Amino acid sequence: MFSNLIAARAQMGTSLVFHVIFSVLGVGLPLLLCLAEGLALWRKDGTWLSLSRQWTKAFTILFAIGAVSGAIVEFEITLLWSGLVKNAGAIIGLPFALEGFAFFIEGIFLGVYLYGSKRLSPVAHWLTSIPIVISGLSSAWFITSANSWMNSPTGFQLVNGKVTNVDPFAAILNPSTPFETTHMILACYVATGFGAAAVYAVGMLRGKRDDYHRKGLLLGMLVGGAAIPFQIISGDFNARSLEITQPLKYAAMEGVIHSGYGLPLYIGGIVDPASGQVRYAIQIPHGESLISHFDLNSYTRGLDSFPANLQPPAAIVHLAFDGMVASAFFMFFVAIVFWALYLKRKRVVPEKKWLLWCMAITGPAAYLALELGWILTEEGRQPWISYLWLLVRDAVNPAQWIGVSFFVFAAIYLVLGTTTAVLLLLLAREPKPSQEWTELMEDEGEVKNVQEVGV
Amino acid sequence: MQFYAYAVAVLLWLFMITYATLGGADFGGGIWNVLFFGRKEKEARGLIKGAIGPVWEANNVWLIYVVVGLYAGFPIVAATLANALFIPLTLALIGFVLRGASFAFRTSVTRIVTVKATWGTAFGIASLITPFLLGACAGAVASGKLPVYNGHGPVASWDAWLTPFAITIGLIALAVSATIAAVFLSVEAQRINDKELMNAFRMRAFIAGAVTALLGLVGLFLAPTEAPTLWQGMLNHGLWAVAITMAIGIATAFALFFRHYRLARVLIVMETFAFFGTWGIAQLPYILPPNLTIPDAASPPTTMRDFFFSALVGSLVLLPSLWFLFHVFKFQQAVPPVHEKEVKEA
Repeated sequence: MFSNLIAARAQMGTSLVFHVIFSVLGVGLPLLLCLAEGLALWRKDGTWLSLSRQWTKAFTILFAIGAVSGAIVEFEITLLWSGLVKNAGAIIGLPFALEGFAFFIEGIFLGVYLYGSKRLSPVAHWLTSIPIVISGLSSAWFITSANSWMNSPTGFQLVNGKVTNVDPFAAILNPSTPFETTHMILACYVATGFGAAAVYAVGMLRGKRDDYHRKGLLLGMLVGGAAIPFQIISGDFNARSLEITQPLKYAAMEGVIHSGYGLPLYIGGIVDPASGQVRYAIQIPHGESLISHFDLNSYTRGLDSFPANLQPPAAIVHLAFDGMVASAFFMFFVAIVFWALYLKRKRVVPEKKWLLWCMAITGPAAYLALELGWILTEEGRQPWISYLWLLVRDAVNPAQWIGVSFFVFAAIYLVLGTTTAVLLLLLAREPKPSQEWTELMEDEGEVKNVQEVGV
Repeated sequence: MQFYAYAVAVLLWLFMITYATLGGADFGGGIWNVLFFGRKEKEARGLIKGAIGPVWEANNVWLIYVVVGLYAGFPIVAATLANALFIPLTLALIGFVLRGASFAFRTSVTRIVTVKATWGTAFGIASLITPFLLGACAGAVASGKLPVYNGHGPVASWDAWLTPFAITIGLIALAVSATIAAVFLSVEAQRINDKELMNAFRMRAFIAGAVTALLGLVGLFLAPTEAPTLWQGMLNHGLWAVAITMAIGIATAFALFFRHYRLARVLIVMETFAFFGTWGIAQLPYILPPNLTIPDAASPPTTMRDFFFSALVGSLVLLPSLWFLFHVFKFQQAVPPVHEKEVKEA
């Protein structure tokens, strides 16, 4: 059997790749629900209400799987990385506990939102979506702040190898937190927005060109399109902060093997620190120096400023970075074209086939960018679990059977993922809720009466 | 500042008891889902599903909070549990996941019978295995099988949680879950006026309660040799708590006997709190017997203080939200689909 280190990393990696899909929906979908239902109430529009009802059904499944996969991750932090917990729990355990409360609030109001549509007035029901949006946001913030701490640990001092002067709030507010949390929260809206837009773009490509699909597409493009420019700007801020707080990660993602002046920008290609070359890349002379310091001949620290055994796997990190940036700009341009055509045609949703195809691709592109971003963050920190302090291999649980556990969990994710996908497809094929405002309202009124009699 | 160490320990202990009560009722529902045979099988399953449906997600948060709370407040304990009990905790996690997933899948849109049946089976098996494993882990802790020397505890072993004592505690966890669920379900049955189901669950509550009491005696018989720290602690400063627990247990049986279901429900919750409270008191001041005390295991005082006050602030947001949840659903009639159909046909 392979080593605990590899097995634990494989299991943790699989878990995060799986969980992040559902966690961004847990943050992003409440906003879509809130907006759609708000528009429905404002305009007395049955189509918007029908959309929000349909998304609620999907969200029930997605939230449950997000909660389950999130519970796995919370357990795994302790079960797989007991060395991290032992050394750093006192410093960085607090945001996890705070996230517990945020998640509790989200669960409570989601329960009210899901089961309460028949017991609350329409406006009160809509209002319960707002705490879900806020608590989802706070959850994302707390968890990402803990990850930021792993990237730039602060809030404690090491005296003779012992942790002292612990300040949990200083740990939460470490130098990476403002940049990473903003980037992650925007990522939730980018992925949810373009994900929703892609679903309706595919529907329209299959001939369902009705008001329901146009409105779904419009709202998706609104949320995704509003988030993506800010996401690109926030990405730029992140990269600049990385050069200061994590020069190794920065060097790996830019493919800077040797420190030096006036370095080129590499687009794509395979970074090979062993031979000291970046192969098959498009090179822009002096590009890296220009972009990062606005000076053609400025200095950048390379991977070679650290011993080889403390360098991250640069080839993966560089490609993940470029893939993420490319996906982001693709989404950005599609959003610009969509909104330009929409406004030019006096608020008519453009339905050109090539544009629908592009929007259908923005969905997968958004999730690709999300996963690549996390691969960049995590691989770029290797071999450290807590940057420059604690090595991953020293944090892994020494227990037996971790190798087996990886295969079991891989199988579980396969089953969970497949079942979820099948259920969502079945849901999409079911007849949609009525789009008539009066009919929808009467439906709910009727149920309310029956229940009152029951009580 | 030992105050914060004990305050956080008590807080986490209360969260764990809450999980044992609410989660126990969920697990017990799953147990009866498997073990309910008889004429009203279908109706009983419907009742169980209706009772667990709206609450299981919130119930799990209590356990997760205990996990992250140990991580932050008592990291050495979290790490020792992970190293020594990796196998049963991972298996319990799998059970936890299968239960959550099967609930999400069973209650959602699907009408494919095989999918429902498969996840229904997964739900039943997970409901039987998970409480047993969590109980066995608790037994391993209580019997002092996880000694910590110089910050190092034992690494994954089968013997810590497969001792006669730990297995007994695992079985007690199953029996307690089944008892709590049967009492809760008899109230649910009373609410929909189904006398036959009411009696069925009342009888099952008696049986499960009797099994719990018997297993409890086995545990007491094993404790002096198998869990000496706990036994000594109980004799020294916990006898009054034992007496209270026994008194509440007997009161619960009487309440059930005289068909005061709602009172029985209150009493069984108190009984669970008393049972766990007794364990906690008997184990004081150790968090991991035989030698790791609560102050020794605690994070630095700054962390404990921040943790304590954030938990207070968190509760200030949480409690009104919980109140709102109950306010909205207070008059909800637990009407499972089966009965709705019956009413329509009649």
